[in-house]
Amino acid sequence: MKNKQQSTLRKAFALGIVGLGMSLLSQASLAAKDYLVTAVRPNKLVVVDAQARQVVKTHEIPNTAPGNSVAGIAVSRDGKVAYAIHNRWESVSGIDLETGKEVFRAELSSPDIRAKAHFAIDVSPDGKELAVYVNPTRLKPGEYEVLDPYIAIYDTAAGIHAQPVRKLPAPRRATTLAYSPDYKRLYTFTWDMLVLDPKTGEQIGSHPWKSWKREGYGEPDSLSVSPQFEQTNEFATPYFIQHKDKDGKESLRAGIWALDIEKDTVRFSEFEDATVMFFSTAINPVRRNEAYTVYTQLTKTDLDTNTLLKRVDLDHTFYTVNVSSDGKELYIGGTINEIAVHDSDTLEKKGTIIVGRGDQVLSSMRLVRR
Amino acid sequence: MEKVHGRKPRMLALAASLAVPLLTPPAQAATQGETLVNSKCITCHAPAEDGQLARIGDSRRTPEGWDMTVARMIISHGVKLSADERAAVVKYLADTRGLAPEETDSYRYLIERDFNRVERVQGEAQLAFDTCARCHSYGRIALQRRTESDWAKLPHYHVGQYPVIEIQAGGRDRNWWELATTQVPAILGKLYPNDSGAWQQWQQRERVSAAGTWRFAGHRPGRGAYEGVATIEADRAGTDRYKVKFQFDYADGQRETAEGEAIVYTGYEWRASVKQGSMDVRQVFTLSPDGQTLSGRWYENGIDAIGGRLLAARSGKGSAERLLAVEPTHIKAGTTQHVTLYGNGLSGDVNLGDGITVARVVERSAGKVVVEARADGAGKDGVRAAAVGNARLQQGLALYRNVDYVAVEPEQAMAVVGGGKGPLPKVPVQFESVGYAFGPDGKQGTADDIRLGYFPATWSMINANAFAEEMQDTAYAGTLRADGLFIPGDAGPNPKRRFGTNNAGELAVTATVDDAGRKLSASKHLIVTLQRWNDPPLR
Repeated sequence: MKNKQQSTLRKAFALGIVGLGMSLLSQASLAAKDYLVTAVRPNKLVVVDAQARQVVKTHEIPNTAPGNSVAGIAVSRDGKVAYAIHNRWESVSGIDLETGKEVFRAELSSPDIRAKAHFAIDVSPDGKELAVYVNPTRLKPGEYEVLDPYIAIYDTAAGIHAQPVRKLPAPRRATTLAYSPDYKRLYTFTWDMLVLDPKTGEQIGSHPWKSWKREGYGEPDSLSVSPQFEQTNEFATPYFIQHKDKDGKESLRAGIWALDIEKDTVRFSEFEDATVMFFSTAINPVRRNEAYTVYTQLTKTDLDTNTLLKRVDLDHTFYTVNVSSDGKELYIGGTINEIAVHDSDTLEKKGTIIVGRGDQVLSSMRLVRR
Repeated sequence: MEKVHGRKPRMLALAASLAVPLLTPPAQAATQGETLVNSKCITCHAPAEDGQLARIGDSRRTPEGWDMTVARMIISHGVKLSADERAAVVKYLADTRGLAPEETDSYRYLIERDFNRVERVQGEAQLAFDTCARCHSYGRIALQRRTESDWAKLPHYHVGQYPVIEIQAGGRDRNWWELATTQVPAILGKLYPNDSGAWQQWQQRERVSAAGTWRFAGHRPGRGAYEGVATIEADRAGTDRYKVKFQFDYADGQRETAEGEAIVYTGYEWRASVKQGSMDVRQVFTLSPDGQTLSGRWYENGIDAIGGRLLAARSGKGSAERLLAVEPTHIKAGTTQHVTLYGNGLSGDVNLGDGITVARVVERSAGKVVVEARADGAGKDGVRAAAVGNARLQQGLALYRNVDYVAVEPEQAMAVVGGGKGPLPKVPVQFESVGYAFGPDGKQGTADDIRLGYFPATWSMINANAFAEEMQDTAYAGTLRADGLFIPGDAGPNPKRRFGTNNAGELAVTATVDDAGRKLSASKHLIVTLQRWNDPPLR
C-alpha cells in the first residue's frame, strides 16, 4: 500500500510539473476540448485535459488558510475564469485558468462578521456576475449572533477587493445556486427549489422539495453539494424518500430529481429500494435519459423508464461525477487525489488522472469546453 | 495488551494538554484563578449589573466542561494562558461554578469515558435530545447548567462555529434552526437551570479532605475482581492536590501499583493521573460528601475501553467497618465453594444469608475474609445481603439453581480501528458474560430477574448481517481473543477490501457459558468503526 501511494504521489508531482508548461489557448486553437476544473488541498486549482488524461495547469490560490479544502467552484461559461470558495470558506477567488492570476477576490468576512459560503456559487451566463450564498455570524464580545443568510452578487470585473453590488435576501440552508442560461432565473436549492429574480431576489417561482406532496410518500432527503449541471443545464441530485405502498409495506426508495434550468421543468425517477449510498449525480448531455450517480459505486439509471441500468464498484469513495461533451466518458472525482475515467456505456474503468499531491475532498469538479 | 497500542500519537499529546493538567502541578493558590478570570476573561465578558461576568455568571459546568470552554477561548479567541494558568482558571471556575453531586449523578458515564452505551431520555427532554444529541452526547448538555437566555445563545454559537449543522443529516430533516432557537432553550432552562437548590446547598457544605489511607475493591472487565489499599497524601495545603499510591491485588494473583497525582474539583470531583503497571491511567472518582468513600471508574488514557470500576473506603485508625465486595457474587444450590469478602475493619461472624452456610473460615484479616460456603440444595433463587460482624453489603451473594440465561456486556459494543500507519491507538471492546436467573415469575427480561454476576465463557463471532457477510467483516474488522477482548483491525484504507475501504465492520459476538453441563449462549451486536479525530473530554 505504501509503495502504491508513494508511486501515485510521484506520478502526480511529475504530471504537475509537465502540466505547467502547457497552454490552454494553444490547445483550444486546434479544436474545442473538455477540461475538468477542480481543486486539491490546500490551495491548488487544477485544470485537466480530460481526453489527454493530463493535468495541464496547477494554479495556486493565494492567501488562503493552510490545511483547509476548497469548497464550491464555478467556472465562467467561456472557460476562462474559475471562482473558488476557500480560506476556511470565507473568501472567493477568481483565478484566470490560463495565467493563474487572481483576477477577482471577495472577502466574505469583515472585522466583526464572520461569513462563510459552502457550495452554493454560480457565475451568470455572460460571466459578468457572480452569485455566492453567504452565512454571516456577528462576533460580539462573549457571544455570537447568527444573522440571516443572503446571496451576495458581485461584479466579476471588480478586481481583488470586490464588494457585493447587491445582496439578495435568501432563506436558510441553501446548498446550490444556478443561473438559468437566459439569466431570468436564479435557482436556489434549499427547503424547496426556489426560483428568484437574479436582479431583485424576488421569489418568482418554486419547485417543491420538502413541500413535495405525494400520497404514500414522506419528505425527500438529499445533500446536494456538488454542482455539476453545466453539461446539460439540468441540475440533478440523488435522493431517498420513505414510501408506503397500498398494502402498507414501507420502504426507502432511491431516486434522481432533476431540474432543467433552461426550461424550468422538473422530472424525477425512483428506480429502486435504497440499497447503496449515493452522493451526487450528473446527466448525460447526449443520452439525456441516462443519469450517473456515485459514491462507492457507479450507478447508471434510466430517467425515462425508472430503471437501474447498471452498477459497478469503484476503487474507493468518490463524491463528484461529470460527463464528457460527447457523452461517452464519465469523470469521477472528489475524496482523494485522482479522477477515475469510466466508459458511460459499459461503466468500465478506462483510466486514472492523478490531480496533485493533496486531496480533492468535497471540492466541486466542473467541466468546461474551450 | 500490546497489540492494542498503536504508534505513540502526536494528536493525543495535544489532546492530553487540553485535558485537566495534572502532571505539572503549578505553584498556585485559589486566588490565582480568580485573578486570571478577572483580568483575562473580563475583556470580553464584562460584568453585568449584579457583578457577575457575562456568560460566565450565567452557567455552571463540570471541570471537563470548563476546561473545554477555556481551551476554546485559547484556540479560537486568542486568550493567552500558560498551562498552569489554564489549570488555575479551570479549578477556580469548577469550584465556584460547578455542579452539585446529585446534578452529575445520572451522567457520570460521560465524564468516566464509559462510552459503550446508548443514551435514552423521556418526556420533554426528547426534543432537546433530538435537536442536540444527534451530533454530541446528551450527557454533554445534562452536565451543564445555564439560564434560559444563555441556553438560547448556544444555537448561535453552534451555527456560527459549525455552519454546516443545518445541512447535515439530522439537521436538514427538520427546521433545526427554528427548533434550536425557539423551543429547546426553554426546555433546557427548565431541566438544567443555572440556579438550583442542590448547588446552593452544596456550596454551603464544608469541604472534606481526601487525605488518608484507603481500602478498595473493584472489577476490571476481562481481568475480574481486585482489591487493594491506597495512600493519599495532601500535596501543599489548600490546593486540593494530592499524591496518591494505589496497590491493586487482582483475584488472579497479579499485583499492580498505581502512583501519581490527583486534584479534587468542586469539593468532590476526584481526578487523578497515575502510572498503573505499564499503563497511563486516569481516575474519575467522586469523593462522597462525608469524605468516607471514593468511587468511580479508571481507564487507560487514550484507550477508554480499558479500565475498571472501584469503590474505596477509609481505613486505618478510627475508620468505619465496611464490607466493599463479595467475590464471586453467585453460588449454585447444592454446591460448596470459597467466597471472599473484601472490606475494612472486618471482624465478627460471617453471614451470607438464608440457605448459605459458612462451613469454615479459610483465612481472615481486617480487610479480607475467605470462607467455605455451602448452598442449600433447596435454597430459593435470589441475592442475599452479606455481613461480617456489623459490616453489611446489601448486594452480597446470589444463590441460584440454574443459570437461566446469559447476557453479554457492554450494553452497546463499539470498537474503533487504530494503529496501522495512523496516529491513534485501537480502541478495543472487552466483552463479559453475565448470568441471570429468571426470578419468581419464571420469565426472562422482567424486573424480578436476578443478576448473578460474571461467568466465564467461550467466545466466537460472525458477520452481523448480509452486507457484513458480503464485505467479509470477520476477516478484516478485528480479532476476538479467548478472554472476550475484541481487538479491532488496523486503521486506514485496506487495498484488499472491496472499495479499498477501511477495516470497519459489523459483527455479532457470542458468549457460551457452561452451567454444569448446560450450554447457554447470548450474542451482542458489535460495531467496528473509524477513528474519532476530535475527541473532547466530554463527547
